[in-house]
Amino acid sequence: MRFNPVYRKELKISIRSIRTAIILLGYNGILALFGLFAFYVTFEYDSRYGGTVDYASILRIYAIITVAEFGLVLFTVPALTAASISGERERQTLEILLTTKLTPLQIILGKLASSISMMIFLAFSSLPILAIVFTIGGVTLRDFAEFMLLIVVTAVFIGSVGIFFSTLFKKTTSATVSTYGVLLVLGLGTLAVLWAIRLIIQIKMKKFSGDVMPYQTPDAGNWILILLINPAVTYFSMMEDQIGTGSRLTSFFGNFGTVSMEIQKYWFFISVFLQLGVSAFLLGISARLLNPLRNRFYRKKKSS
Amino acid sequence: MLLIKNLTKKYGKFTALDNLNMEIKKGEIFGFVGPNGAGKTTTMRIVSGLLKTDSGTVNVDGVDAGTNPGELKSKIGYMPDFFGVYDNLKALEYMEFYASIYGITGNKAKQLCLELMDLVQLTDQGDSYVDEMSRGMKQRLCLARSLVHNPRLLVLDEPASGLDPRARLEMKDILKELHNKGKTILISSHILPELAQMCTNIGIIEKGKMVVSGTVEEILSARGTASPIVMKFTAGQDRAVEVLKQNSLVQNITIRDNSISILFKGNETEEADILAAMIQSGAMLSSFTREESSLESLFMQITAGEEQEVSE
Ligand SMILES: Nc1ncnc2c1ncn2[C@@H]1O[C@H](COP(=O)(O)OP(=O)(O)O)[C@@H](O)[C@H]1O
Ligand SMILES: [Mg+2]
Repeated sequence: MRFNPVYRKELKISIRSIRTAIILLGYNGILALFGLFAFYVTFEYDSRYGGTVDYASILRIYAIITVAEFGLVLFTVPALTAASISGERERQTLEILLTTKLTPLQIILGKLASSISMMIFLAFSSLPILAIVFTIGGVTLRDFAEFMLLIVVTAVFIGSVGIFFSTLFKKTTSATVSTYGVLLVLGLGTLAVLWAIRLIIQIKMKKFSGDVMPYQTPDAGNWILILLINPAVTYFSMMEDQIGTGSRLTSFFGNFGTVSMEIQKYWFFISVFLQLGVSAFLLGISARLLNPLRNRFYRKKKSS
Repeated sequence: MLLIKNLTKKYGKFTALDNLNMEIKKGEIFGFVGPNGAGKTTTMRIVSGLLKTDSGTVNVDGVDAGTNPGELKSKIGYMPDFFGVYDNLKALEYMEFYASIYGITGNKAKQLCLELMDLVQLTDQGDSYVDEMSRGMKQRLCLARSLVHNPRLLVLDEPASGLDPRARLEMKDILKELHNKGKTILISSHILPELAQMCTNIGIIEKGKMVVSGTVEEILSARGTASPIVMKFTAGQDRAVEVLKQNSLVQNITIRDNSISILFKGNETEEADILAAMIQSGAMLSSFTREESSLESLFMQITAGEEQEVSE
């Protein structure tokens, strides 16, 4: 298969740009700080005040470093993608691209692929820092591979959101703000919705049961499944699979109701596939938006 | 090569193209002239597959633009009126990027790109970063880029605008060269003289309508009495305008700072009559002449609105 020309051009340009160097430095710098912090907490602080190092809590280092890296991914991907189409538009190079043989979908996919490559490049550059965990043990290569997979999936997911807004809006600024906005909605908004639902149910329960209220957790029902598109919860479910027992996930869900054992068991994979599905949908819409000859989504009233 | 029939395009309620008809035959350089806002860019964007039509057909080398946009794109090399280049890319890489879109890569691409850069007089500029080039150079690079897939029809939107005279001359030479190579070219401008010397055909568009089109010679010879009459006044210009407005042979009045030019479809006797009528009305004429025929005056006359102020 030939490489997508847009992909190749993007890589060539981004490798040369000073921005890439800055992102690389910032990304690994912040990650290294978290690594040092995790190390310090576990060995220096714990051993000084406890006299011993609790090897059971060493997995905490892994958790701290990966949570930091995952957070960095969430913050980096919008910056990598929100300018993808709007940037070409602002630079007045988009029209030319659209008059070439490239289809809108090829342009979109080339942009996505280059952003994801960049993300993978960053993730790989951080491997030495992640490898700290290996010096102690407790984490398998499979866990590592799974984490890398999660990074890629998250990059595709958030990247598709970024590209969608980049296609929808003329200005990169609007696209960037919207993408971070959606990120906030996915990460915190979904939780807020569940809290709100829980609150409403609680108030209703109080009404019906009068003063004497038997203790019962309000159940948000299937609404809890909106957490499947919350990247933070996806990460959490992966961590629980890897270094936990699943009990923390259960008690977390318990705040809002119950999740069937089947779904909870495969939460990670279900959410990964769901997020990839949403991504495909967003990329499809973006390609359609980019097509100058498309039929409009809505028809203007015909003046007869 | 290009056949446009009854093309209509609306932006909301505004009609940008109104039943436009146009034909370009193989090997022609078609100068597409009209004032700003006449609809040149709109037409060219439709021809290049960047804009949907509301009605009418556009056919490029046997391909219908509406139904087969993919095929259309392979036939057309488009250079927009405004365009940008990428930062951090060298001229040769810029060319190679577009070549790679058409599956031309490696040495073959390099050879082709260098050839095209040669053609647009950018020899030895392969290593320059495109964002550091002058406007004229960028324009020529963009022209070379539009040739990468050997298109049948070149669509150039105001390629000379914003260029200094020297760069314009270079652009003109390049277009001549392309013409000699047998390319069919559609080129727009809002300045007629710029095009008159290098085009084989001219089409004049105004308010979305093709006002006149044909070979340069045809247009000049078909004019006959069509050249305007220019008058100068020392006083009473307003009264003269009133007289002119009454006369049905006067088809177009253009008022400038110190003269009036009219389009007059009458013979010499009728000319004398209208002159007498104006003097009778009290206007003080200092000059009354039929203008020498030139493409430029034709353009002025056609594109000047019914009656408008032109300040010079
Ligand atoms: N996207 C648009 N939305 C609304 N009006 C437009 C748009 N593009 C062009 N127009 C209008 O259509 C007319 C024709 O524009 P254009 O084709 O660019 O003219 P030209 O290239 O001859 O100067 C102008 O009056 C312009 O204001
Ligand atoms: Mg224009």
